[in-house]
Order: sequence, then C-alpha cells, then structure tokens
Amino acid sequence: MTGTSAFFLRREDLVPLLEELAETLEVVAPVLVEGEAAFATWRGGALALDDKNPLASPMEFFLPKKEVLFRYVQYSGRYTFSEDPPRARLIFGMRPCDLQALKVIDGIFGAELPDIPYAGRRRSTIIVALNCTSPGEGCFCRSMGSGPGAEGGYDLLLTDLGRGYLVEPGSPAGVYILRAHQRHFEEADPEDQREKERLLALAGEEIIKRGPSLNPEKIREAIDGVDWEEAGRRCLACGGCSLVCPVCHCFSVLDQGVPDGERLRCRDTCILSGFSRMTSGANPRPALGERLRHWYLDKFVYIPEKTGLFGCVGCGRCSRVCLGEVDRWSLFKEAAE
Amino acid sequence: MKMDRSKKEADANGGTKIGRAAGAKPESYLPIQAEVVDIDVESSNTYLLSLRPMDEEDELVAVNYSPGQFLMVSVFGLGECPISIASSPTREPLQICVREAGKITQGIMAARVGDVLGIRGPFGNGFPVGSMRGKNVLIAGGGSGFATLRSLINYIADDRRDFRDVTVVYGARTSQDLYFTSEYGSWQAAKIEVGITVDMMDASWKGNVGLVTSLLADLDPVPGTAALCGPPMMIRAVARDLLGRGFIEPEIYISLERHMKCGVGKCEHCTMGRYHVCTNGPIFSYDVVGDLI
Amino acid sequence: MEKIATICVYCGCGCGLFLHVEDGRIVGASPSPAHPVSRGRLCVKGWLAADFVHHPDRLKTPLVRKGGRMVRGSWDEVLSLTARRFKEIREESGPDALAVLTSAKGTNEENYLLAKLARAALKTNNVDHVARLCHAPSVAGLGFALGSGGMTNPIRSLLSSGAILVTGSNTTEQHPLVAAHILEAQSRGATLIVVDPRRTQMAQLADIHLAPRLGTDVSWTNGILNLIIDLGLVDEDFIIKRTEGFSALKDLVVQYTPVEVERITGIPSGDLEKAAVAFGEADRAAVVYAMGTTQHSCGTDNVLALANLVLATGNVGRDGTGIYPLRGHQNVQGACDMGALPSVYPGYQKVEDPAARERMEAAWGTDLPAEPGLTAVEMMEAAEEGRLKGVYISGENPMISYPDRDQVMRALSSLEFLAVADIFPTETTALADVVLPVASFAEKDGTFTSTERRVQRVRRAASPPGEARPEVEVAADLLRRLGVDADYASPEEVMAEISSVTPSYGGISYQRLGISGLSWPCPSRDHPGTEILHQGSFPIGRGRFSAVEQQELAEDLDYPLLLTTGRSLFHFHTGTMTRRTHLLDRERPKAAVDINPADAAALGVRSGTMVVVESATGSLEIEARLTEEVPVGTVYIPFHFAEAPANQLTARTLDPTSKIPGLKRTPVRIRRAE
Ligand SMILES: Cc1cc2nc3c(=O)[nH]c(=O)nc-3n(C[C@H](O)[C@H](O)[C@H](O)COP(=O)(O)OP(=O)(O)OC[C@H]3O[C@@H](n4cnc5c(N)ncnc54)[C@H](O)[C@@H]3O)c2cc1C
Ligand code: SF4
Ligand code: SF4
Ligand code: FES
Repeated sequence: MTGTSAFFLRREDLVPLLEELAETLEVVAPVLVEGEAAFATWRGGALALDDKNPLASPMEFFLPKKEVLFRYVQYSGRYTFSEDPPRARLIFGMRPCDLQALKVIDGIFGAELPDIPYAGRRRSTIIVALNCTSPGEGCFCRSMGSGPGAEGGYDLLLTDLGRGYLVEPGSPAGVYILRAHQRHFEEADPEDQREKERLLALAGEEIIKRGPSLNPEKIREAIDGVDWEEAGRRCLACGGCSLVCPVCHCFSVLDQGVPDGERLRCRDTCILSGFSRMTSGANPRPALGERLRHWYLDKFVYIPEKTGLFGCVGCGRCSRVCLGEVDRWSLFKEAAE
Repeated sequence: MKMDRSKKEADANGGTKIGRAAGAKPESYLPIQAEVVDIDVESSNTYLLSLRPMDEEDELVAVNYSPGQFLMVSVFGLGECPISIASSPTREPLQICVREAGKITQGIMAARVGDVLGIRGPFGNGFPVGSMRGKNVLIAGGGSGFATLRSLINYIADDRRDFRDVTVVYGARTSQDLYFTSEYGSWQAAKIEVGITVDMMDASWKGNVGLVTSLLADLDPVPGTAALCGPPMMIRAVARDLLGRGFIEPEIYISLERHMKCGVGKCEHCTMGRYHVCTNGPIFSYDVVGDLI
Repeated sequence: MEKIATICVYCGCGCGLFLHVEDGRIVGASPSPAHPVSRGRLCVKGWLAADFVHHPDRLKTPLVRKGGRMVRGSWDEVLSLTARRFKEIREESGPDALAVLTSAKGTNEENYLLAKLARAALKTNNVDHVARLCHAPSVAGLGFALGSGGMTNPIRSLLSSGAILVTGSNTTEQHPLVAAHILEAQSRGATLIVVDPRRTQMAQLADIHLAPRLGTDVSWTNGILNLIIDLGLVDEDFIIKRTEGFSALKDLVVQYTPVEVERITGIPSGDLEKAAVAFGEADRAAVVYAMGTTQHSCGTDNVLALANLVLATGNVGRDGTGIYPLRGHQNVQGACDMGALPSVYPGYQKVEDPAARERMEAAWGTDLPAEPGLTAVEMMEAAEEGRLKGVYISGENPMISYPDRDQVMRALSSLEFLAVADIFPTETTALADVVLPVASFAEKDGTFTSTERRVQRVRRAASPPGEARPEVEVAADLLRRLGVDADYASPEEVMAEISSVTPSYGGISYQRLGISGLSWPCPSRDHPGTEILHQGSFPIGRGRFSAVEQQELAEDLDYPLLLTTGRSLFHFHTGTMTRRTHLLDRERPKAAVDINPADAAALGVRSGTMVVVESATGSLEIEARLTEEVPVGTVYIPFHFAEAPANQLTARTLDPTSKIPGLKRTPVRIRRAE
C-alpha cells in the first residue's frame, strides 16, 4: 500500500473496522440518542451517518465545554498540582465544516503560546472525516470554502459512494491505519474517484440552491450597515450562537474547592454582558447589539486577520439554535446578492 | 548580574512582544508558587504585597519582566485575576499592589506573610522603556492605576541618567487613597518632578486639590514620551491636554484594563476591537487606541 | 463521552436536552433537535443546565443536629430518627401536627410518594408545595371556568395564533422557549399584545404595549371584554352552545368603559381599543399569563377575568387559541397532578369526595383523613402558633421564597422537628434537625410534567455525590419505616402505581414516553394523549363565566411606591443552583432594586447607591439600579438573593379563594442608606 492512493471500504466492513479500532482507542462517532444523531463514544452497533451533521459539533472533543485544567492539593500551605493526560481518541465522521473549524482553532490555540491542553488533545486524536454528499438544510459551507468536500486536515477521509466508502489517507497516521487493517480495504477503482468528484459537485449545487448563499467578503463590508440595535432587541441572550459554533472558543476559568480542588475552564460566550464587564462595572460592550456586532466582526474580520481563515465555516448551526428569531444571515441580505 | 540581565530583558520585551521569563512556561495554565514575604498597607483597601517564588528554578520570574507587564495571580479556591507588577525589575522583591474589588482581590488581601499565592506571567508587552531612553518622560496616573506606573518610575529612577526630564503627576480621590506616599521623596531626590493632587479636600491634606490636568498646567512638562494609567475619563483628559502641548500620538502610551481570564490571547475576554489587551497590550500608544477608549 | 437525553431542570417549558457525560462527570449540555418544545434551541440556563451538579457545596452525607450542631449521621440513623419523631408527634398532638412540603423540583414519582407519605403514613392532608406561590389561582380560577387548571394548548400551538395577549409574564426571561414561539408567531404575522407595568423586552417587542397600574388587572380585562362586546366581536355561537353565565358578566362589564378603565389603570383608552380590536378580530387568539397575574391577593379574580375573555371570543379548543398559565418550575404541574396539594389526591380527585377517598383507601390499603389540610403559608402560621410541630420539607427554600421572611424564620424555628431534603445547604437546611442529601435532576430517573401537561422522562446521567440518594428512595424508605408497603424496585414501578390511581395518567408508562412524552389526559394505554384540551366539551360540561369586579386598592401615603418582585433571566428562584453556575452568577452577581430614573431623581438616588426599602412588613438595604423598564411609581426586586431577600418586604395578604400571597404588589418607601 502506498500513501497517496485511494482505497475502497465496503459498507458492511465499516463496523468490523471500527470494532478493531475501538480495541485500542476510544472511538467517537455519530450515534442515535433518543432518535437524534449525536457524537458520543461508539459502543458497537449502528452509526447515524445518514442524518445531517449533529447539532453539537465534535469540536467539543478538542475544546470541551468544561474541563479540569489542573487539580490543586494543599499540604501545609504549599500546593501540589496534577493534570490529566489527554486521552487517545478517534473521531469518526467529522464533517468538512468542522474540520475547517479545527484548522481555524489551530491558528489561534495552536499558534504563539500554544494552549497546552488543546495541543495535547490535538496530538492524541485521530480524525476520520466524512465528506458531505447530502448536505443539510442550513448549510452554506460552499460559500465559506469549507465544504462539502474536505481538503486536508484529516488522517483518513471517507466519501460515501453508496455501495461503500472511498477512503483516502491524509497523514502518516491514516496510512498506518490503512496498513494495520488492510484486510478491510481494497484498492479503489479510478472510477470511484470520479464518482466522488461527481457527488461532491452535486452536493455543492444543492447547497447553493437551498442554503443561504453568502459572500464572506461582502459580509465583512456589510457589518457596519446593519442596524445592530434592532438586532440586539430581538436577541434573548441565550448564548446559543456562540455555544454551538464550532469556531467560537472563548472560555472562562474558575476554581472549585477549598483547600483542595480543581481549576476548571468552561466555554463562555461574548453575548453575555458579564463576559467583558470590568471591575469598575464599566463595560466596553454594554448593549446586546454591540455584542452581536462584535461576534460577527470577530468571525469576518479579526479571526481572518489572525489566521488567514474565516471564523465561520458555514455549518449553519447558529441559525438553528437562535432563540430570538434573530434572522442571523438575512441581516446581510445585501451581501447575499 | 541579575540587574543587567533584567534590564536587557525589559528593554527587549517592552512594547514589542509578549513577555517571557526564563523560568516560567507562559503557555501553561499551571501557576508557579510564590510566598508572600511582606505586606504594606497602602490605603484602607489597598495592600502592597512582596512575593518570592518558592522554587529556585522560578526565581528569574522575580526579575525578568519589564514595567507595565502584569501577572495572573491565583488564590486557589477563589480563582485567578490579572494584577500589574508594581515593582521595578531593578529591585527585588517582586511586588504587587492590590485593591479590594471582589472575591479574588479580597482573597489576595487576606493572605498573610508566609502564605502562598500562585502566579503566572509576566504577561503583556510592558512600556517601551528602550525607546523611552534619551527622551523627556511624563508619567500621569489616576487612582489605583498608579501601581503599574510606580514600576516605571522606579525603573527610571534606578537608571536616571539615561532619561531626560522626568515628570510624575498623580491624582487620587482623597489623601487617604494616595499610594506609595513614602517614596515621593526618593523620586524627587532622583531629580524627578512630582506633582500630587486629590479630588476631595480633607483636614490632613495641605497639597493640591483638583484634576491631574491642573498639575500639568502648573508643571508644564516638555514634550517627549508619556505613560498614562487611570480611569478612562482621566486618560482622555490628560491625552488631550498633552496633545495640546505638542506631545505626539505615537509617543503617548496608555495602560489599559479589560476583563481577563487567560493572559495569553486565547480566552477572548480582553478583546478590544482586533486587539487582545493581554498580549498586544496592556500598553498601547494613543494613535492605535485613541478612538477605542 | 455519553449523551443522555433528559429534561431541563429550570422553568416549566420542559425543554429536551442532552447531557454530555465524560467519565461519569457531566461536562455540558446541548439542545435536543427533535424535541417538540426545544427544537434544537435552549435559553442560557438550559445551555448551562447541569453546571451546578458537581459543585463542591453539594450535600453529600446525611446530617443530624446533636447538641445544637449538625453532625454527620448514617442514612439509617437519620431516617429512623425522622420516622420516630413523626410517630411521637402524631401520638402526642395528632396527625395534623405534621406536614409535608414537597418540591416542584422533584419528579412526579417523588411528589407522589411524598404526598402518599403525608396521607397514608402520617395520616394528614397537610401537604403542599410551591405551586401555592405561583399557580393556585390558576387551579382555582381555570378549574372553575374550564374545569381544569392546566394550560389548554401546547406551546407549539401558539405558532398558529393570529393574536397573542401576554400579561403578567416576563416571557423572554422566565419562559424563553415560550417567548421564542411567540416571537416566531409574530414574525409570521400574529399581533403581539403585552400588558405589563414594566417595559420588559417582551413589552418592547410588542405590537401593542399596555402598562396598567399594579393590581388593576380585572379592570383592563373587563374593559377589553366590554369593547369586544360593543364591537360585536364575541363568538355568540360558542357562548350559546358551550358556556353559561354570560349575561351577568355582560351586565357587569358595561361599567368598564374605556374612560373608566383609563382612570383606574392608567392605560390610554385608544390603546385599550387597539388591543380589543386585535384580540377580538383574530380568528385564533391566545392568552398567555404567569405570576404577574396570579401573585396578587386578587389572583383568582385576575384569572377568572382572563378566562372570560377567551370564552367570550370562543378561543378554546382549537389550535392557535387557548389560555396559557405558564408554570414557573419544571415540574410544578406534575407536583399538582400528583396530589401534592392539601385538598386533592393525584389527578385532582377531591379528598372531601367520599368516593374518591374510598378509591384511594383501597389502592393504598389504609384509611385516609377526610378534611383538607393546610396550605403552605397557613402551615407557617400554624407552626408559629404551635399547632404544627413536625415538618418534612423537600427541596424548597421557604426562607427565601415565601412572603414575610421573619415570620417563616419564627415558624420553622418553633417546630419540634424539621427534616429537610435538598441538594445544597440553604437558609432552610440551616434550621433543620435532620438534613437529607438527595440526588439532583441529573442523577435520577423519573418524569417531569411541563407547563403544557407533557409528561417526559428524566434520566440519570451521573451518580449522586457521596451518600446522596434519589428522593424517591428516601420517600419509599420513610414510608416503610412508617408502616406503609413501599417496595418499589425503580421509579418506573412508582409510575405504574401512579397511572393506576390517576385517571388522567392512566395510559402513561415509561415505555410509551418517547422524545415527545405524552400530554395528559391520557386515560388508557392506547390513548395518544391530549395536546389541546376542551375540544368538544369541558370536563364540567359548560364553560362558566364569572362576573368579577375590580378589588379596592389600598393606598398608603406612608408607602408611596409599589414593589413588585420576580426572577431574572439568569437566576432561578432562590438561586441555589444558578448562583453556583459560574456564567449565570457572573451575569447578575448581586441584587439590585430597579427604580425609574424619575423616581430616583426625586429620591436623590443614582445607579449603585445603597438604598433602604421599607414596607409595613420589613425593610432591607440594597443597591439601586436605574432603568426605564419599571414605570414611575413602581420598583422591582428579583428574589434570588439571600443577602437582600425581597420577601423580607412582602406581606402575607392572601387571595381568599386560592390562598396565594400578594407577592406582586407591596406598598413600600425608599430612602438613601446612611
Ligand atoms: C492588566 C490589568 C492589570 C490590573 N492590575 C491591577 C492591580 O495592579 N491591582 C489591582 O488591585 N487590580 C488590578 N487589576 C484589576 C483586577 O484584575 C480586578 O480587580 C480583579 O480581577 C477583580 O477580581 P475579583 O475577584 O476581586 O472581583 P470579582 O468579584 O470577580 O469582580 C468584580 C468586578 O470585576 C469584574 N472582573 C472580574 N474578573 C475580572 C478580570 N479578570 N479583569 C477585569 N475585571 C474583572 C467583574 O465583572 C465584576 O464586575 C488589573 C486588571 C488588568 C486587566
Ligand atoms: S458562525 Fe454559525 S454558521 Fe458559521 S461556523 Fe459558527 S455556527 Fe456555523
Ligand atoms: S442565539 Fe440568538 S438569541 Fe441566542 S444569544 Fe445568539 S443572537 Fe441572541
Ligand atoms: S485575557 Fe484571555 S485573551 Fe486576553
């Protein structure tokens, strides 16, 4: 087997392959929970790959909603600290948009003064991505250049061709998996590769047809024209838009326990006023509208300046969760044309 | 030895990049432990704490910083918050000046000599002390923002010949709220002009009453480079005044405060437009942030 | 990582969510996309629903008071002590010296067993819970008018409304998912009418906002009805076929002319007309209300007046219509359904009805008391007077949530024996003789019944801390120790018993409760549940109008301002959970009294000034917050904060029918603190 070629995995071989992988690693995959697809530890059985990308992004396996940064134990006035080592995981079925989010976060948490817990999890996680051949309703990855096909950033990439999956390695770890589990794979037919291209082109058209078609450059320009005060009036401050976004990464830190305890870090949201409120009570972004504006500026101006990538990957999740009927992307009607 | 090294570090760090002390791993969220070795009461709600890193390998933290940088200080069980370094790297010990604001600051102030606090850092860019050399320096502080300026003043005082005219103006609410009163004499001795004012008159106060800007009118500092820290209102007024005197925007440095959680540009609490105050600041020149404050 | 589907612990919306569990620890929550209410969305409390679960303050071991100090005890020790003391008090002073306060935070199974504990084991009907403080007027008022105190339609039904009248509900903050549905209906073209003295976010988003003086709800409601009658917008057909008592009402409301209403309420007559036209003309109109309507000493009248409005316009029994009493707690509906009320058994069967009593006696295999028991606030009075001697309180914090805090303190301290079950230490556990550490919503199995009567499964996602146990086990254990059979292998078996004795839950079983749950009445195993009530008829035959009049409003020159209390978006109730949720606590870290800038100027008060708020009942010191959300003459204090307990000020003036205290209108005065 060589590193660059493509392989074919028959449908019925997928579960046996995962079973083998699960012997040494925790396998995380979309499974059905009360009828809904959600990323969770796979414990055998059916996978929920036909559903749209789960609402809770697998980014939480890199930036957990809550994690212990370290534990402190006090002994006669001095402290000793302990940290948990990252766990070895394989994430199966990560979609191109979420993969793109990972690249953006690499540019923030992986760059200059890398965030150690993130870097640790990044290193110990194997990513098996899955191209989107039947995109969801609110998806606009194509506008953001993040899908429906993945480009790099994965260890293995799968494309559902109906009878089975086209499998392409993207890293030495991916090649290693292909080698170690050879018997499940066969050499792909050149026709398979063409079939993949065809399906992705179709999916791309589908997205343009029904999803919001947005031009990020125009959004950037349009931000200042939006009536943010009005948008802020409808916002119910649920924080959902940032808590669900795979790119949003802000966090807060808190201690729990005296004299021994844990320093925790938890996901935060800049939609809340306490996020930026200062000791004096003064707040640089006192109104909801200003906070919403900051949210967009960060995604379309500041993050691109920092990472060269947009801070939105077009997964559409923020619109799905918005409680206030803030029609999040129609704010930019002009930009859509 | 130590002093030379710290001077180089400070000059190199200041105004350019994120500070990084040899012993500390700034990217780790694990603090190092520092013992409180002395506590001075600056005012009824403000203490000056002297700290000494407990592990030998962390000792450099106590000298490898530049004026204007800050630490993330932990009280385990209560949390961590940003506190400016109040001492100068030219003098040990490392000092912080803490004013009661809430849970964590109260926790820091409850520490007694011998107790252990956690520290991470130093963080932030610090004042561009390298480029301040050879210039006239005006230092203007208001309220509790004076702590970070004291670091700069002592740094300059210890290397006085390298700087031209140095003027300090400082205002607080009442005479009881003035910090570092015992040091003004030593600054004056080092040929630093010092003007002090308070907002509210009281029986024990014989000095100026009024705004910091009124001191500027009296002292009439020669244009050069300026370092400002204090409440936004005061900063705006002083900056405007200085511009009127012929100071130029890129030479007016302002130390800013924002809500901070990580200190390393990740948590996004301290964002101010495209800047992270924790890594791009907290010192910004007026031409960069003038319209943001 | 596991994802466990369960129901949110906070408000009555009953949102479905997933708890994310890593190594036995709950690390996060996310909305359930398929759930009929949440539909992939949650409010900020929901997103952070389980954040408090692993807080180090959790009660982990049973505690017992010994020589004035609370010391660690074993479960066996505290439960046998509790059982023994209850028996002794019953022998010395009779069963009515005992009482049980159940919890709207508990599951149906827990409420059922605790109500059974009171009735079958302690032999008293002294059982009640927090519903007294929120929706007793709905149970009384809607029970009289429509035959059921429940919300008539599911939340989703609002999406088909043409007009929605929201009153006494700060919906965006208190029931955000209901608000989301209302706003969605509005963007589909529905007219939103908000009647609220405060300029809440809901009021700001309304098409028509009426701001009446506090306590004048009957007047504006009658006024709107009068206009609707005048304009010929009543549903004559519906009135004739399905109701009774309209003519008496009609004769009464003619007095409520727009001019008269303007005089009483301060609502400009033109605005009242606009509201009447919008509501009357809509083909499908709905009324949504909450504690701002019920927490008055005329709470039942307020509810009856609103019921008149929907009956007269025929807005009952169809999609998009109906009356929506929004339940505050996630399971206040269930606690009522389970008979955690002094006058009814599960399913609202009256204890005074001999037939019902016989049925329950047969089911529980013991004789039961016939007299209705004491309500929650009456219990506090009885305790202070020494008539009540032993109380079991489950997960409630009356020290903060009940009116007249000093009296509650006196009442609870004068008890001979107080057992309190909770997840965190509270001002109430501090007064207990035994403290029972129990499981939080994320650590137990069971069901909650949401404000839309939707019975839904709650699932255990983590183990309770230390020795804490699900309260369903604690209640069963106490039942056994008091001589009642209670060998339930699981909460599921308790539900089987519930469905056998509760006609409206007759068809409910765990197997049948999928992602959407089942709405009661669901009388049999093949019944699909009832989302919309009163479709063809009312349980009482005909809907009843009542001619309710405006109550005289006492004005007190010594106390020129009116205080109203409530909750904020970021906290829940007495804050035991939300104040231990980092982001929520940070959002509103301290109590403040909201004052209109005009009033503040007259008082010489600025934002951040400390002020003293005094009422005839008590006083407290609190920071002032200036906001136009409250009108001139009205001030507002959220009641979450133990350090500034709003209920230090409220009085115990009770509604004569439902015995709810008038928490929403207290005359006060304000001065700067020294
Ligand atoms: C660069 C920098 C340097 C500082 N230097 C000093 C100093 O030398 N001496 C000193 O006494 N104080 C200093 N502060 C302020 C100090 O960090 C805050 O007073 C402290 O974080 C308050 O925490 P607390 O737990 O005591 O109060 P809390 O009870 O947490 O909060 C009180 C108020 O402060 C706000 N707040 C909470 N956390 C932060 C935070 N991390 N940053 C800013 N505001 C926050 C809250 O929103 C709240 O309104 C500095 C702040 C910054 C950003
Ligand atoms: S901004 Fe919205 S659409 Fe873009 S990545 Fe975030 S959640 Fe997805
Ligand atoms: S999801 Fe919508 S309602 Fe919620 S905070 Fe974001 S903009 Fe506001
Ligand atoms: S403090 Fe975290 S980004 Fe600046």
